[in-house]
Amino acid sequence: MKYKSQKIAWYFFAACMGLFLLQLVYGFIMGFAHMGMDGLHDIIPFNAASATHKNLLVVWLLAGFMGAAYWIIPEESGRELWSIKLAWVQLASLLLVGVTAVIGFHLNWWEGRKFLEIPRELDFLVVVNVLAFLFNLLMTIWKGKRITTTASVLFFGLLSAALLYLPGMITFDNIVFDSFFRWWVVHLWVEGVWELIMGAIMSYLLIKLTGVDREVIEKWLYIIVGFTFLSGILGTGHHYYYTGAPGYWLMIGGIFSALEPLAFLGMAMYAIAMARKGGRKHPNKIALTWTIGCAVMSFVGAGFLGFAHTLPSVNMYTHGTLITGMHGHMAFWGAYAMLILAMIAYVLPQVTGRKRYTDWKAEWAFWTSNIGMTGMVGAFAVMGVVQVYLERKGGMDFLEVQEQLHVHAAGLVIAAALFTMGIVLFFMNFCSYGMPNDETLGQED
Amino acid sequence: MLTKSAAKAFFLGGTVICAAAFVFLTVDTIAQFPDRSHEENMTPEVIHGFEIWTENNCMGCHTLMGEGAYYAPELTQVFRRRGEAWMTEFLKDPQAFYPNRRKMVQYDFYDAKKVGKEEAAKNIADTIAFFNWVGDIDLNGFTGDPNNGPEQDIEKAAAKAAAPTAAASASVDQLATLRSLNAVCAGCHTIGGGALVGPDLAGVANRFDAKYLTKWIQEPSTIKADTTMPNLGLGDAQVKELVDFLLTLK
Repeated sequence: MKYKSQKIAWYFFAACMGLFLLQLVYGFIMGFAHMGMDGLHDIIPFNAASATHKNLLVVWLLAGFMGAAYWIIPEESGRELWSIKLAWVQLASLLLVGVTAVIGFHLNWWEGRKFLEIPRELDFLVVVNVLAFLFNLLMTIWKGKRITTTASVLFFGLLSAALLYLPGMITFDNIVFDSFFRWWVVHLWVEGVWELIMGAIMSYLLIKLTGVDREVIEKWLYIIVGFTFLSGILGTGHHYYYTGAPGYWLMIGGIFSALEPLAFLGMAMYAIAMARKGGRKHPNKIALTWTIGCAVMSFVGAGFLGFAHTLPSVNMYTHGTLITGMHGHMAFWGAYAMLILAMIAYVLPQVTGRKRYTDWKAEWAFWTSNIGMTGMVGAFAVMGVVQVYLERKGGMDFLEVQEQLHVHAAGLVIAAALFTMGIVLFFMNFCSYGMPNDETLGQED
Repeated sequence: MLTKSAAKAFFLGGTVICAAAFVFLTVDTIAQFPDRSHEENMTPEVIHGFEIWTENNCMGCHTLMGEGAYYAPELTQVFRRRGEAWMTEFLKDPQAFYPNRRKMVQYDFYDAKKVGKEEAAKNIADTIAFFNWVGDIDLNGFTGDPNNGPEQDIEKAAAKAAAPTAAASASVDQLATLRSLNAVCAGCHTIGGGALVGPDLAGVANRFDAKYLTKWIQEPSTIKADTTMPNLGLGDAQVKELVDFLLTLK
């Protein structure tokens, strides 16, 4: 850890851990409901659980991005963070907004807009919060010694994410408009600018962990984010096939979203190639495992499983079925959750001064969670395929079909239990490092 | 070999071109939306129905135009599938329908006890108006519809059933009641179209008598505790007409 103010990252990561564990609780509520065990229905109905599950994900991923940026930007800029106080205020207010939103969901205070359920009143607080965050970063970069590609891609990604939040705040009377602009936020975040953030954080980790020359890594960073935008921007069209937009989106969305796996494949090949090329043997092997794992699983989840239902002729049948759940779970896990866990794994030994690199919990956390998630995605796939054939093709009644799926939902819950064990192990490992301190202050990693 | 500045130019160039194309297509798409969604039919009732949809996070369980969660039925074509009569009955007390199965959330907006009878009726009507409007949006062929059994013609069924026994042929008055109920019953039953949620009612008169059928309609759960058949709360006269009709299905 080079600068004192980088310690703030640990507190953001601690918030991530708490919100992540809570997210899993709500996942189980939904998993059991899909098994036919909906005993909590009167207190936490399915839609409250699903809004909470999704928004906790968004909030903890954002907290993770912020923590990562507060760690990376000072180091890349070669100075302390511009204002440590502002960062604290910003963390507290982010948590306040998140917790208020989650409580609101249980009291029927929300908007029925998938992923953007947070009521508009709170949206304004989110905007103020993110502006404070970006201002803090900008001042740090501005007053810093140098502006690196990694830092500028990271900042540009975060800034674009903030700007793209705005179309989601417009009110429409017509659901077709509402849906169209909702995807400006959701799609252009996760299949667009969030990938800039991902690319930048991954580059930082690869520079640190493999010792490959910065110039080489950053050159490939440009190529990969170039492919991301080349496919991802017009790839938004795959959300516009059957939601009221003109027919030309079938062709445009089909072609460009079919190219999206290439960006993820590029990312995976790049991470693996850099790790092989690197001469430096960094002792923090588990951080490199998470980094490579992230690149590979994001290709499998976002790239491959996304492609599985992105062509219009397939999507005609899979649109609005559990197939989407199959893709969504591994895409978010692979691309973003694992990225933040990689960053946490890298930062922990430095921020706490404990150079523990070979703990069984850390390794078991990686494998258990990934095997669990693979099982979950398998269960989702079976549920989705069965639903498509029985309901969409066979013409069976919706509820009849759902009852046929109870047994597969049980499989989902078992796999989810394995996944949760992995995350709990990660959390235990996180706790065993203790609180952040200044022991490694001034040391370059 | 590729240089870093060439890589940067590739990134910036590609992004600018794609973003420009995306903005251009967005402008064109927005211009087509009013026509494709039949904005001229977007009455204040429809808009209010959309507000109810959003405020209660219906999308947190259902899908509409294929978007939402995957816990409750797809509703894009629900108006065509079920009809106004069925939907009105259903929304008065959703948990009474499909007893012992997946439950809908107990909301205030349709609850006459919470918001008053008039308000509840208006909310229900507006929600249905919204679904009717959504069903007409041009979705490039997507319906998301499970094939809900063959369409039924109550008059044909009655005529066919009544043909051998002219005395039992349904009167004009009866047909009016039956037609309004048809939309409700046909959500689960067919006459000669095979079992859906409930059994096929063809030949039901050969299997059961008037007393038993009356009890089934009035208090389904006393016959079968875990049944999915709802108690529709029909009046005695309606029940009698319905049973008379069922007894013609030989």
